Amino acid sequence: MATPHSTAAKEDSYVDPMAPPTERPDAQVVQDILAGDRDAFRLLVRRYGDVLYGHALRMSRSPDVAADLVQRALVKGYQKLGTCDDPARVGAWLFRILANLSLDHIRSPRRKDVSLQQIPEIPSDRSPDPSADAARAEFRERLEQAMQRLSPEQREAFLLKHVDGLPYDEISILMGLSVPALKMRVHRARVTLRDLLEVYA
Amino acid sequence: MKDETRQPDTDPIRRYLDGELEATDLPNRLRSEARAWEGLLATIRDTHPRAPAPAWLEDRVMAEIEALEAPGPLIRAWRWLVHPRTFRVPPLAVGLATAAVAALALLPRTGLPPSAPVSPPAVGVDAIPGEGMSPAAGAVSAATLEPVVYVQFVLEAPGARSVSVGGDFDGWEGSHDLSDNDGDGVWTGRVPIEPGVHAYMFLVDGSDWVTDPEAQRYTDDGFGNRNAILALADPRT
Repeated sequence: MATPHSTAAKEDSYVDPMAPPTERPDAQVVQDILAGDRDAFRLLVRRYGDVLYGHALRMSRSPDVAADLVQRALVKGYQKLGTCDDPARVGAWLFRILANLSLDHIRSPRRKDVSLQQIPEIPSDRSPDPSADAARAEFRERLEQAMQRLSPEQREAFLLKHVDGLPYDEISILMGLSVPALKMRVHRARVTLRDLLEVYA
Repeated sequence: MKDETRQPDTDPIRRYLDGELEATDLPNRLRSEARAWEGLLATIRDTHPRAPAPAWLEDRVMAEIEALEAPGPLIRAWRWLVHPRTFRVPPLAVGLATAAVAALALLPRTGLPPSAPVSPPAVGVDAIPGEGMSPAAGAVSAATLEPVVYVQFVLEAPGARSVSVGGDFDGWEGSHDLSDNDGDGVWTGRVPIEPGVHAYMFLVDGSDWVTDPEAQRYTDDGFGNRNAILALADPRT
């Protein structure tokens, strides 16, 4: 995967978490697993576990749910590994499985029962000013509410672009959408967030 | 942060946020708006912290994989049934042998505890075409169809008008109806599901989602409820 070109998400020290490793390439690992070396799957768990968990956590906002989603995605990936068309990009393939499970989870009918009070509290910054802390906490609560108002698909695309910092061509592969469609989806997410936050202000 | 109606190809802010323009490419009148967006996006990034996967995740994944691959007694029985072997059967014993196989094949459909996954698969995975079976039928079994495992769901819900089961295998539609033909309040139904790990719940009277009280494993859905978890081994492995 290439370095993300988003100016908004640019980080000088950015290391693409989905970049294929140079030692024992993924394609070789996949081949070994399919040949019966089950334990080689540990390598894939170690290589992609963190990025998968990070995305699941950002989508679900629950460490327990995120861990469960990642576990289910990895087990499913293991079972379906023979259907992975491009073993050299097995990380992206596993990510797609996780993304689908995450969307299924968010779309579950009881999703509408979510209580904003159940969203984990976000630690405040280092400001010694209590009033500034309170204002910051209030804004972040509004921001959290606004994020929850995005459709699951918009939130997924927005998080991949502006939080994970992935370039559109990589997100396109992960989500199976064209780059123009993705840009529109992210744009609509930004507009929705902006409008909601201005309404709250 | 205004003017959302600007065209995508010509909107400098949108192109900047999409990484197509640098801040220095923006006209001065738009730079404050760009900074406002940067501040908002930085706050959003701060509220979505990066966190490593739990240390126990790797071992748990591998343990589940190992458990899925360990064949249970029903799988072993099915493999025994479909594994090609040579028998010498006296002509008079043919009828008895056929009856015994049918009984074993039907065994998973009855007498199992509530919500237990059952086998054999719906398609004849690894089936060997025998005399009287067309070659095409044998080829279809393993080469072109995804295997499924029939799962017997049972929920005791006296007074319910309808009960169905839904999960990630049907997009949480609750599309698989259970039945209570004798009116004793015990609703049952068999559902074909692809091998894998699935979350599910029962949908009672079309509106109330109920957790399976007899499931062997649960997961917190993060919203104060529990999904039941069903792990189905691939019958081909």
